[in-house]
Amino acid sequence: MASFELLTPATVDAAIATLRAIEPARRVVLAGGTDLLLDIDDGRAAPSQVISLRRLPWRTLDWVEGSLTVGSTLALRSLEKEPEVARRYPALAQAVRAVGSVALRHSATLGGNLARAAPASDLIPVLLVLDAEVELVGPTGSRSLSVDRFLVASRRTAIAPDELIRAIRFPEPRPSAYLWQRVRRVHDISQLAIAVAWSPDRKTWRVAVGGIPPRSVLLPEVAAALGGERPGSSELHTARARASRAVALVADRRASEEYRRQLVGVLLERAVRSALGGGAAG
Amino acid sequence: MSRPIELRLNGRPATIPDVPDDERLLDTLRWRLDLKGTKEGCRTGGCGACTVLVDGRSILACLALTREVEGTAVTTIEGSASDPDLARVRAAFEKVGALQCGYCTPGFVMTLGGLLKEIGRSAPIDQFLRGLDGNLCRCTGYASIVRAVAEMREPGP
Repeated sequence: MASFELLTPATVDAAIATLRAIEPARRVVLAGGTDLLLDIDDGRAAPSQVISLRRLPWRTLDWVEGSLTVGSTLALRSLEKEPEVARRYPALAQAVRAVGSVALRHSATLGGNLARAAPASDLIPVLLVLDAEVELVGPTGSRSLSVDRFLVASRRTAIAPDELIRAIRFPEPRPSAYLWQRVRRVHDISQLAIAVAWSPDRKTWRVAVGGIPPRSVLLPEVAAALGGERPGSSELHTARARASRAVALVADRRASEEYRRQLVGVLLERAVRSALGGGAAG
Repeated sequence: MSRPIELRLNGRPATIPDVPDDERLLDTLRWRLDLKGTKEGCRTGGCGACTVLVDGRSILACLALTREVEGTAVTTIEGSASDPDLARVRAAFEKVGALQCGYCTPGFVMTLGGLLKEIGRSAPIDQFLRGLDGNLCRCTGYASIVRAVAEMREPGP
């Protein structure tokens, strides 16, 4: 006998109605499944119902006036293969390529990654520095939330029990970069990761750190230290010094606290240089 | 719950009776359909041994529910002879002897066959090699696999 029942609602309304009909503690939402199914295998999740989003029309990628909207169930591999993504949001393309293998990225989705809110997510630091907005749909309509507000803690988000992530919207294109350090290149979790982006509209940098619990965070004081579009060596020096103090770094089996403190500055400087150089790194 | 599932399997329509909702494609292939060419390695999406094609795209059968691929075309190593891209990869592996114990080989062949469909025969070799990032060979027979990739490619103009 199956341990759970798989439900495949054919419309958004049916999916929301299904969410409302089942007690939240008893069901989970399935997108690509590359993270969720591991939790089910390990017993960290034991749902009686699994609600699949497979039949919903959200495998989309739209450019509207130069900004990008990615449907929540689009495969990461499809995002990676869109040449304009790498050109306009280099950090996003770099972060997508950091997720698993080609075969895994044929299943894994941006919406799933965000909804699962893993502290080690490679995509979340980049969503933060690109000021991405999460579009949620629920029984009374839709609402938008910044990724920063959407994320609450490790594995916890601000999504309501009867809401689904419909899309992720990226504002204006930004010179940007995402760099990570790992023991192994694939099927490993980053010891530390840094995302940076320059906003031509706001004339400010955004810096985020990832790979450390409880969640990826923006570092506004580090971004401020970078100053204008072309930080010089003194700005970089100040930013590095602030970065190594700005985050509560931890020691775990992947890296010592001291090693991570070194990494923050090194990756920050490399990421800024990569963003300015057109983002070929990663 | 368990219900029959219809899909195309290795080029032919197939109905699989009584597939439980929580069954993985890997288990359906190996234990229900006796297609043992698809291997179980890590079962956590990290080794590539269970790679199969769904509508021509490589996926990890250990991380896919069988019912989620209902209505698609599933290709396993058993169907590789009748698919021109997969046959090309197989021929290259055979020509250079790109295997030792052979356990990882179906996964490598499926991954490369999927890449041929995605990026074409004359794509830069680096794109194929990076595309193999998720396939592990525990015998560490990588040098001959790299030679098979070179053999399989068509030199660009």
